[in-house]
Amino acid sequence: MAVLEVRDLATYYYLGKKELKAVDGVSFDIESRRTLGLAGESGCGKTTTAYSIMRILAENGKIARGSVTLGGVELTELSDEEMRQIRWKKASIVFQYAMNAFNPVLRIGRQIVEVIREKDKMSEEEAVLTVSTLFDEVGLKPERQTDYPHEFSGGMLQRAIIAQALACDPQLIIADEPVTALDVIVQNKILDLLRKLQDKYNLAVLFITHDLSVVAENCHDVGIMYAGNLVEVGDAASVFKKSLHPYSYKLIGAFPSVVGPKKRLEFIPGSPPNLLNLPTGCKFHPRCPFAQSICKDDIPEFREITSGHFAKCHFAGELDFGGGQ
Amino acid sequence: MTTNDTILSVQDLRKWFTLRAGLFSFNRQPSYVKAVDGVSFDVPRSGSIAIAGESGCGKTTLARTILRLVEPTSGSVLYNGENIYEMNRLELSELRLKMQLIFQNPFEVLDPRHTVVDLVGEGLVIHGLQENDEVLHDRVISALEDVRLIPAEDFATRYTHELSGGQLQRIAIARSLILKPELIIADEPVSMLDASIRTEVMNLMTDLQKEKELTYIFITHDLAQARYIGDYLIIMYLGRIAEMGPMEDVIQAPQHPYTKALVSNIPIPDPTVERDRIMLEGETPTPVDLPPGCRFKPRCQEIGVYCKEDEPILHEVASGHWVACYIE
Ligand SMILES: Nc1ncnc2c1ncn2[C@@H]1O[C@H](COP(=O)(O)OP(=O)(O)OP(=O)(O)O)[C@@H](O)[C@H]1O
Ligand SMILES: Nc1ncnc2c1ncn2[C@@H]1O[C@H](COP(=O)(O)OP(=O)(O)OP(=O)(O)O)[C@@H](O)[C@H]1O
Ligand SMILES: [Mg+2]
Ligand SMILES: [Mg+2]
Repeated sequence: MAVLEVRDLATYYYLGKKELKAVDGVSFDIESRRTLGLAGESGCGKTTTAYSIMRILAENGKIARGSVTLGGVELTELSDEEMRQIRWKKASIVFQYAMNAFNPVLRIGRQIVEVIREKDKMSEEEAVLTVSTLFDEVGLKPERQTDYPHEFSGGMLQRAIIAQALACDPQLIIADEPVTALDVIVQNKILDLLRKLQDKYNLAVLFITHDLSVVAENCHDVGIMYAGNLVEVGDAASVFKKSLHPYSYKLIGAFPSVVGPKKRLEFIPGSPPNLLNLPTGCKFHPRCPFAQSICKDDIPEFREITSGHFAKCHFAGELDFGGGQ
Repeated sequence: MTTNDTILSVQDLRKWFTLRAGLFSFNRQPSYVKAVDGVSFDVPRSGSIAIAGESGCGKTTLARTILRLVEPTSGSVLYNGENIYEMNRLELSELRLKMQLIFQNPFEVLDPRHTVVDLVGEGLVIHGLQENDEVLHDRVISALEDVRLIPAEDFATRYTHELSGGQLQRIAIARSLILKPELIIADEPVSMLDASIRTEVMNLMTDLQKEKELTYIFITHDLAQARYIGDYLIIMYLGRIAEMGPMEDVIQAPQHPYTKALVSNIPIPDPTVERDRIMLEGETPTPVDLPPGCRFKPRCQEIGVYCKEDEPILHEVASGHWVACYIE
């Protein structure tokens, strides 16, 4: 059974009287030892999906429907107190801004010790020892526990956050753009580390990024979001090589590379979707070169086209994107 | 080297931060973080220069010092031939209108108590450039549309906490572009944007460059992005320039061992391509108490005899292509 199962998740924000459908019907599974990379354009609902799973939404956000189960437990129905117990202990999140994740006036080790002691009944000494082991695991010298956040470089802070995320031996780690702010060398070290830890601790990882090359190199499975919908999900090779959804195909084509000739990049024509006023039918139809009248009228179903490879497009599997992928 | 066509000339610039006493208690001498440690380069008018290098190598400090948001330790920066460190307040204020910085972390600079309209229009108001409220509003709306925040009216009334990471970053870009500057120093301006919107924003930036003869200094740790927007590339390592030259020359034929490692680590958007990566050992050192000789030496795989003694200086290996390394 999958560690995390998300079914038809919908989360809306309220701006005055307006309803903003940030996430609207997202379903996916993550098994232990697997990483799902979630990608899609800015504002498509990636962070909102993560925050809904962890139930740490902004005050004006509400889960409107759907289910999220972690190790068989339905998270959307837990009380706030029960959910607090799950956070860190069963599921951890690595936020995008390393700089903002720690309190600047407290020593880093101290802050992790507190997280551990809040969740596990453990003595102070034991907790300090655990932090030392974790620091070692993520490639930080254990004596640096006594440092303040400003004494760490960006790459070191990011490792400390991963150590904190691992502190309570979770089943699921959600990493929201964990390496965006880092250079490629530090990035690759951290991603290697995550992979090693994943095998060792049987972790399921939800990896959020807008960077498709990072997804291509680091995730087993890929989910592509558009306007609050998951439009395609499958293993990485299938999604990259045999995209089923026109949006995924376009998104992959818009990525700059250092191999091949330098060219003006192709981007997706048309306006980004207005979440306060979504189009009828398929939300991508106004920008889709293959759109037919059915796309304007009917919302496509999210269906399995080939084994394990799902897409939300009326013509999934029938389209020829040309040029060969 | 400086000619009429040079808009900005950075000359032997240094910015050292003093470490608080007690932080390194074993050392009673004051220690310095040599964040920028002798950097020189010229920026041609309407050119676009990309500056890349790993986290902590001094990119942001360089940008802030060039704009005189912090005072330099030594060196000079000439803007159209005028030394900006000798300018008075009025001249500086005019300069800041012509030379804009897009900050790295939008969360830091965008005041959460202001709405998007106010944040984007702020510069025009401060510099007294708004004709009337209506014109101001229209200009803000079109600036928002330029960075693909559409429908702009829906974004205009929101506060920063009601936006996603990439949306905030675009507000920061719109805020600078609206002032129609001559030179933009953009510090990781698109790091949080997905490929498609990033492409549109980068295309917008290159289009503006052609139309308005804008000059860019584009700071990034992403060489694929650097390649897309820049025609000249500067690679920094611990406060100094390791290598610089025409973009394609540096990317296709890197000379410095550090540049070679960086290039080999660039991810490629294709899961079937396997590449040999040059891994750099060791944690990135901090620019405090640097070793004698070459500062890259502790992580270098090709150490020669001179490397231990003197800091290598930049020398030209091909037309316009400069490298600070002894190894041929
Ligand atoms: N508190 C909020 N109130 C109203 N709208 C919000 C709020 N938080 C986010 N939104 C909107 O919800 C949509 C989804 O936001 P989310 O942060 O999930 O996007 P994202 O996919 O993570 O984008 P990015 O890649 O830019 O971080 C965006 O259009 C955003 O403007
Ligand atoms: N105000 C300061 N006081 C002391 N040290 C500083 C200060 N600002 C920066 N530094 C140090 O100067 C060095 C260069 O920092 P800078 O922010 O310029 O790096 P960067 O290249 O922009 O890195 P990144 O890619 O992570 O943004 C770092 O070692 C940093 O710790
Ligand atoms: Mg986000
Ligand atoms: Mg920086």
